[in-house]
Amino acid sequence: MQEKVKDAPSSQFKWVGTRAVRPDGVDKVTGRARFGADLAMPGQLVGKVLRSPHPHARIRAIDVSAAANLPGVKAVVTRDDFKDQPSEFIPAGEMMINYRDVVRNVMAREKALYEGHPIAAVAATSTSIAKQALKLIKVDYEVLPHVIDVVDAMQPGAPLLHEDMITAGVEPAPKTPSNVAKRVEFGHGDVAAGFAQAEIIVERAFTTKPVHQGYIEPHACVASVSEDGQADVWVTTQGHWIVRAHCARLLGWDVGKVRVTAAEIGGGFGGKTVVYLEPLALALSKKARRPVKMVMTREEVFRASGPTSGAHVHVKIGARKDGRIVAGEAELKYQAGAFAGSPVQPGAMCAFAPYDLENVKVVGYDVVTNRPKVAAYRAPGGPISEFAVESVIDEIARKLGMDPIALRLKNAAKQGTRAAYGPKFGPIGFVETLEAAKAHAHWRTPLQKNQGRGVASGFWFNIGGETSVSLQLNEDGTLSLTAGTPDIGGLRASLCMMAAEELGVDLDRIRVQIGDTGQLGYNFLTGGSRATFSSGMATVEAAREVIKEACKRAAKLWELPEDAVEYMSGGVRPAGANAGKHAPMTLSDIAGIAGKTGGPIAGYARINAHGAAPSFATHIADVEIDPETGKATVVRYTAIQDAGRAIHPSYVEGQYQGGVAQGIGWALNEEYIYGPDGRLQNPGFLDYRVPVASDLPMIDTVIVEVPNPRHPYGVRGVGETPIVPPMAAIANALADATGVRFTDLPMSPPKVLAALDEARAAGTAKM
Amino acid sequence: MSALRFVLNGEGREERAPPSTTVLDWLRLSARLTGTKEGCAEGDCGACTIVIRRPGENQFSAVNSCLLLLPQLDGCEVMTVEGLSGPDGPLHPVQQALVDTDGTQCGFCTPGFAMAMFAFRDGGEPAEAALIHEALAGNLCRCTGYRAIVDACRKLPAAPAQPAAAGGAGSVSADGPSLGAHACGGQAFHAPATLAELMELRAAHPDAVLLAGGTDLGLRVSKQQEAFARVISTQAVSELATVRAGADALHIGGGATYTQALPLIDAKFPAFGALIRRIGSRQIRNLGTLAGNLATASPIGDTLPCLMALDAEVLLRARGGARVLKVEDFITGYRKTALAPDEIIAEIRLPYLPAGRDFAAYKVSKRFDQDISTVVAAFVLRREGEMVGELKAAFGGMAARPARAAALERALAGKPWTPAAHAGIDALLAEDFSPLSDHRGGATYRLRAAAGLVRRFQLETTLTGAPLRVEAL
Repeated sequence: MQEKVKDAPSSQFKWVGTRAVRPDGVDKVTGRARFGADLAMPGQLVGKVLRSPHPHARIRAIDVSAAANLPGVKAVVTRDDFKDQPSEFIPAGEMMINYRDVVRNVMAREKALYEGHPIAAVAATSTSIAKQALKLIKVDYEVLPHVIDVVDAMQPGAPLLHEDMITAGVEPAPKTPSNVAKRVEFGHGDVAAGFAQAEIIVERAFTTKPVHQGYIEPHACVASVSEDGQADVWVTTQGHWIVRAHCARLLGWDVGKVRVTAAEIGGGFGGKTVVYLEPLALALSKKARRPVKMVMTREEVFRASGPTSGAHVHVKIGARKDGRIVAGEAELKYQAGAFAGSPVQPGAMCAFAPYDLENVKVVGYDVVTNRPKVAAYRAPGGPISEFAVESVIDEIARKLGMDPIALRLKNAAKQGTRAAYGPKFGPIGFVETLEAAKAHAHWRTPLQKNQGRGVASGFWFNIGGETSVSLQLNEDGTLSLTAGTPDIGGLRASLCMMAAEELGVDLDRIRVQIGDTGQLGYNFLTGGSRATFSSGMATVEAAREVIKEACKRAAKLWELPEDAVEYMSGGVRPAGANAGKHAPMTLSDIAGIAGKTGGPIAGYARINAHGAAPSFATHIADVEIDPETGKATVVRYTAIQDAGRAIHPSYVEGQYQGGVAQGIGWALNEEYIYGPDGRLQNPGFLDYRVPVASDLPMIDTVIVEVPNPRHPYGVRGVGETPIVPPMAAIANALADATGVRFTDLPMSPPKVLAALDEARAAGTAKM
Repeated sequence: MSALRFVLNGEGREERAPPSTTVLDWLRLSARLTGTKEGCAEGDCGACTIVIRRPGENQFSAVNSCLLLLPQLDGCEVMTVEGLSGPDGPLHPVQQALVDTDGTQCGFCTPGFAMAMFAFRDGGEPAEAALIHEALAGNLCRCTGYRAIVDACRKLPAAPAQPAAAGGAGSVSADGPSLGAHACGGQAFHAPATLAELMELRAAHPDAVLLAGGTDLGLRVSKQQEAFARVISTQAVSELATVRAGADALHIGGGATYTQALPLIDAKFPAFGALIRRIGSRQIRNLGTLAGNLATASPIGDTLPCLMALDAEVLLRARGGARVLKVEDFITGYRKTALAPDEIIAEIRLPYLPAGRDFAAYKVSKRFDQDISTVVAAFVLRREGEMVGELKAAFGGMAARPARAAALERALAGKPWTPAAHAGIDALLAEDFSPLSDHRGGATYRLRAAAGLVRRFQLETTLTGAPLRVEAL
């Protein structure tokens, strides 16, 4: 069932809120859409990367001479081809990056810090020659002890990844280095005093495993550098301005000399917000003086592109018997991979965000380990901390014999609530999602044998940021809309709809494209659920500029003051005292006379989009357990979320369903599995199991609309929140079915069976 | 040595390329048809799905082009996403359905889904959830949660009686396959049409690589970029493609794919058929063969416990003669078999079960579809009244090779077939097997699951009305 709550407000619009055919749909079903690996340039070479087989090793020497002399090899690059960078943090998506680390992640310098860490790259005339060349590169490694687990990495005496790493955020600063990059703390009130008032306290430790974004399209790019230093990159990315910035910085080139074009993107989910291949391809191309194409294998994607953190989380919540939470406390340890920068900060900020708490404290640790550097993954950090908190809240409800939705309603954040991470919420739709869940038929449908039902809520901030959009009125009255945030989930359709709504023209009059870095001003990336929000806001502004200009041109033609012309239903007409003095003109009419009335007409919005508003969700999951094998199957799922306003409801639903699907995989099956040798054992879809169609129910959705007053169409970002609740919703359903509280992800059959056996022996199992 | 001949999207092609070229690479790099995508190059994601119609077949089958070697297309009609809609025609119904249901998000997996849906529609199956899931099990989508894609499958109009496929001008049947051998770039590929030719080639080139379906071999080309000097394919040998119900056994030719063998296996050994439906995906089963599964002799080869429990025999042929081995004797160790360098697997014989036997097969894996087994079990039970006359219990995933559980079988013989008699089976299985712990399952879990499957078999054979079929484990 697909439902929309509060459908009425949208009906004031002609396009917004409809399920129009998306402009990129046909290209995608015909195979015409061009993705990262689909471009071939004349004379292009194949680039391949030599990767460290060791999780931790000092690189004493690299000898590339034999590889460089192999016929067909046109260029080889190593650490020597990249200048070292000073330590400097800059934002990337919701996460921060440091160029000192980025340069080391794209190409190992002093040490290889994870299995798969790039050591060298070659460009050759064929794949087989490139692979042969990699085998000829001699690397002298001094193998060092490694550390994989986050808790192990925090122990005194653990192998140090960075000998100079002093924990930030601790006063006074520690005197000795450790693997703890940073400590963060959020909260308010007095948790000790809060717990003193509690009539029930539940305290639990949780662990989660690193999981990969699992985009089906591997990282891919083609780079070409001309003899005069003009560089072009075609790449699958969530942010080509970010690619440009990183590449220019790492290579020491002028930003303006690098033009980056975003290919159609085959999924990203946060994982395509950083650079891996692009600087290498550019460096190789410059050396070889030929275009270089680089495509990761699936194995490379798993071993060397960012999964999200594995974590250890400790949560303690106290409540009164009536269900009012009096204190909440959490400690988060997130592994960052080889370099600082796990999403522990957003994780800490999210942990208790859905609740109105007087006393709350969250402490987080960012910990480096010998694994690939984590990248953003859909609501980075949030799913981990909220899994833990939502599980404990469920346990409190069960212990108090309270309905878990009622308990959440009793503590829910509302407009004016001061969030645990600081600010006061504006209008938010959390209560509305809870009420919609309570009213949903799913919540009341009886369960079958061996089934349990769980509910969980989720929160994500959403962001705005720098955005440029251009909207050209063509000479025949059609429009060309150019945005700079890669379309990863229906953006182009949504932007067209907002533009058509503003201009009062038909949707098929507007063609939309994602422009390259030479065509628009800076655009921050598609991430933080910002694209429809920010590029939508800029599109509206650009459309209003076109309208203003159209009025101006009519005024000039009619020899009226500008404010004597009004724009309505796709055209201009004299207004007020002058009404009826001239026949109305359509936008096409105006376009036809643009040349004579002052030149081409275009709107160009360059904004820093403010006013992004959070999106809350409440999910209901029914899970069936096979008591003999421990296999859990999600048999019914309903995702309810506040979209602010759904511009294109099908794509909003698609985001809800996609997030849930990833969450179900995270909850039940997906994990990075390391051997004692520090090597990843399941770097492929064969053993890294993402759900197939038969693993999932037909996921139901309910769109709640509590408009964001700071967006012209009320938009909230919707893409990330849907992955937050599933892990807890499923764990809570498992607890309902089995009587066992699962705290260790994934809840795979062997773990479930072992826990069931233990509970059966103790007499606490419900099956 | 002739060129390869096939029809691609309605146009006849004659191609020469090194035989160790995957169809996916050829499509993307040589033919510049980039609609077909590479997501994993190991047959797991389905983004590379195309459909082929082999000579003599009347419907298209979905296959993973990343695992298929170019010469395997010889004589086939091939369609990629680019061929679905005519040059100026409207979208093909599968494309239209995906557009109408918003079945695309990022769109990278879409061409593969479109081709899997095309094969599904071409097969004329009803649009029921279970069949749709089976048809889509070989395709991963990470964006949609599949709902919109499943909806698109449900909305597909029926295919016309005559498949509106490539057909027409470039039909292969006029020219036929190139037959025989294909060589390019120092690599040779032989696709003999008769058993006699195959035996000659095998004798002449004992070091050549034998290719049946190529789902394992294709992986070595696709992932490791191995180039084989000489490949002998059994695919075109008509004698090997037959699947026949004989008087006392099912005869499955060494070249028969899972898909070709399924209808008769379903009819004679429904539990085995249900297990085969969980091997890989349709794309894999349209290429892979039972004989190939046997020859690979993996400890988790899905079909091997069934073959053992059913007392299957394997007919091995060499130029000089033939011999018959029990499957149990054919598999000699970890990925080792008794196959001599000049031999081929000509046939697998599955003797029918005498009346009154209970047979069941179970697969435990993390996912129902498209997954590697953690444990596979097959049981055949002869009862004497309430007692066990004889139990054959074969397991995969419990040792270096699939094997019968001798201690378990001995101990249960002559005992009542009741839950009470099963008290000691955990210890008996621990006597029979010392399974490995790996990321697919720990030793304890494997032993526990194996014992659970014995118990499940007991329950299913004693509870009236209980299904004797593989279920979602």
